[in-house]
Amino acid sequence: MTNLVKAPDSNTLVKDDTRLFVVFRVDDVDYALPASDVLQMESFTGATAVPGTASFVRGIVQLRGRVVPVVDLRLRFGLAPREPTLESRVVVAESNNRAVALLADTAREVVRIPEESEKPPPALASEGGFVRSIVQLPERTILVLDFERVIGDV
Amino acid sequence: MNVDLEEFRTAFVAEADEHLAAAQSLLLAMDRTLKERSGDGVQRELRELLRLLHTVKGLSAMVGVEPIVSLSHEMESVLRTAERGGGIVDEPTIEALLEGTRAIQSRVRAVAENRPVPAPAADLLAALRRLEPPAPASLGEIKITDEVAAKLGASEREQLRSGARAGRRALRVDFMPSASQAAAGVSITTIRERISTLGEIVKVVPLSPAGGLVFALVVLTNATNEQITEATGIEAVTELMAPSAPVPATFEPEVEKEEEATTEGARGVLRVDVGRVDAAIELLGTLVVTRSRMALAVDRLEKAGADTRELRAIMTDHARQLREVRSAILRVRMVPMTAVVERLPLVVRGLARTNRKKVRVLVDVASAELDKTVAERLFPALVHLVRNCIDHGVELPADRVKAGKSEEAVLRLEGTTRDRMVELRISDDGRGVDRAAVAARAGKPVPATDAELLDLLCRPGLSTRAEADTTSGRGLGMDIVRKVVQRLGGELTLETTAGQGTTFRVRVPLTVAIVDAFTVRSGGERFAVPVPIVEEIVELASERVVNGPSARLLARRGETVPLFNLAQALSLPNRSEPPQALVVRGSGGELVAYAVDRVLGQQEIVVRPLTDTLVASGAISGSTDLGDGRVTVVLDLLALRAA
Repeated sequence: MTNLVKAPDSNTLVKDDTRLFVVFRVDDVDYALPASDVLQMESFTGATAVPGTASFVRGIVQLRGRVVPVVDLRLRFGLAPREPTLESRVVVAESNNRAVALLADTAREVVRIPEESEKPPPALASEGGFVRSIVQLPERTILVLDFERVIGDV
Repeated sequence: MNVDLEEFRTAFVAEADEHLAAAQSLLLAMDRTLKERSGDGVQRELRELLRLLHTVKGLSAMVGVEPIVSLSHEMESVLRTAERGGGIVDEPTIEALLEGTRAIQSRVRAVAENRPVPAPAADLLAALRRLEPPAPASLGEIKITDEVAAKLGASEREQLRSGARAGRRALRVDFMPSASQAAAGVSITTIRERISTLGEIVKVVPLSPAGGLVFALVVLTNATNEQITEATGIEAVTELMAPSAPVPATFEPEVEKEEEATTEGARGVLRVDVGRVDAAIELLGTLVVTRSRMALAVDRLEKAGADTRELRAIMTDHARQLREVRSAILRVRMVPMTAVVERLPLVVRGLARTNRKKVRVLVDVASAELDKTVAERLFPALVHLVRNCIDHGVELPADRVKAGKSEEAVLRLEGTTRDRMVELRISDDGRGVDRAAVAARAGKPVPATDAELLDLLCRPGLSTRAEADTTSGRGLGMDIVRKVVQRLGGELTLETTAGQGTTFRVRVPLTVAIVDAFTVRSGGERFAVPVPIVEEIVELASERVVNGPSARLLARRGETVPLFNLAQALSLPNRSEPPQALVVRGSGGELVAYAVDRVLGQQEIVVRPLTDTLVASGAISGSTDLGDGRVTVVLDLLALRAA
């Protein structure tokens, strides 16, 4: 996606080919969501378990007066479970009026990514369809999540 | 009305309306005549009125609406008496006749809407009858019909009687002190003061009904209930005496009781006890349970190979209709936001005066509505936010001028509705919150964002007052305000700019479901279970439990009740042998017991639906905050069994 912004000194529209992403780590891999979809990031102090839900649903938490489900990304990606630490973060994102918190091992960065470095994932390695695009930066690789897939198909 | 008269209904309504309108304008004309040239007869008008009412009576008799027949009959008698008495009528007579026409009008509307037509109110009929022989001198015995009567001495009773004979009304005004009223500066003393401007306080009787304190003020007054409510904010105003004596114009206007006529006279307003609406919602709940059983039955049919397409389509319609009925019932509970906000300017005025500040209040809540329960719970929080703006935000007039602002501050109260949430904004154009001062008080670094600033402000016990003032230390803290908002499932936010002002934004759901619930612990988790479905809590140690081959059974009072471990039923890690059980009665009357580790307590909870597909489940009716900031799951044990 390309954002059009006003140049500071004129009324003409210029192309800004970068987007802000919130980057978080799960099992030493960098994942990201567009910052525009992210409502907030919080440390994780435990969730209230909800009986009868999918195994990757940690439960529900109340964040700024809102009750949202927590999806444990490790379990969602089929990785070994790990007890949350002080570093654990929930990234609360919203899409189609659904707000869901994603539990990551850490989350501490907001990165501006040039649009041309965002590429579709190779067909055979899309992590169960959870990865929407792959960002190749000179020094690192970031997997941009398909939020709707991550929180869908229970 | 008979079915074969159905076709006359429209004609009847139209004609009766016309006659009644004419009768009312005649009565109003008579009233003017009376005031301008008292003593003049109104023979001509009386005869015209007689003709109109006689026609209405005839029409009503024809379509068989007995209540209107008897009302117009009584009114006719009054008119005949007045006509024979030289065409002289007095104000109470005109008042009673107007009341009569309004009572007839509301019944005509009932006919128009095909509703049952209520019988005429007894006190209106009595008032009309009393007018027939003009002003009898004898006084009937006045009965004091109230529990406070027992607390009145002989001299006080006599005081009431003589007051009533002098045409004053004996009322009971119930003042219930509460934290919110204390926060608004309202106490029994201020209530006493306000009432004494309207009448004579005979006695103040403190009563203590279950879980509270009520001051019943016994008052003699010429004021109407509305005037008293307006002056005190108290709606619990009741007539203390059964008026059996001819006390002119002391009957309550009948339309007020059953149906407030709107100015357009179109549909009217219905006053309903909230309990009745709640009962309807509860019944709807049982309907929803029945529906889930129906859905399971359809599933089984389908598995058995039946063609269920038509059934499925009906079920879909049925689900939609259930939702519609639910929202229709919930709409009955809605009150206009103006009703909530309109009391705030009064609070502002008092606060501004004690603080020597000048504040203008601008209210814009348009036509937004919210649930009565939400409104009641939110009001104290709003009072506190308003207080906060005036105490801390708004500067003294001189300081405002120095800062280049107008002497008079502006406090805005705005409300809008969006996405099933109502948003209320309380904003001032004052000095803004002093971040550094708040941080210093809290012993924390200066917050970077407004959200962090609010977190600091909401630390229990934090006071940011720079100087001691008269209102300090009263009311709620910001932490309580935020808790109130959050328990309603809402959100409190803050925006503040140094020198420009502060805006508090409160977002709460339009409606909430509030129930009494048991909190229980099971399988290491805490749950809430609505009280109404729980028949009994039993100690398993003192009961006879039989380990049957497929289920455990609880033998009690001749009944055998299946006993399940709640933790197991919910597939939770099940660590212990639970010592207690909740016995639940299903809609079909059958009992089931769920064993739990511990019943922790009982409290009122606000149930917030859990709708996200990741966590929605039949056995869960929602989530709640028990007051500790953590989420607790509210179980629907009836649905758990069906599932």
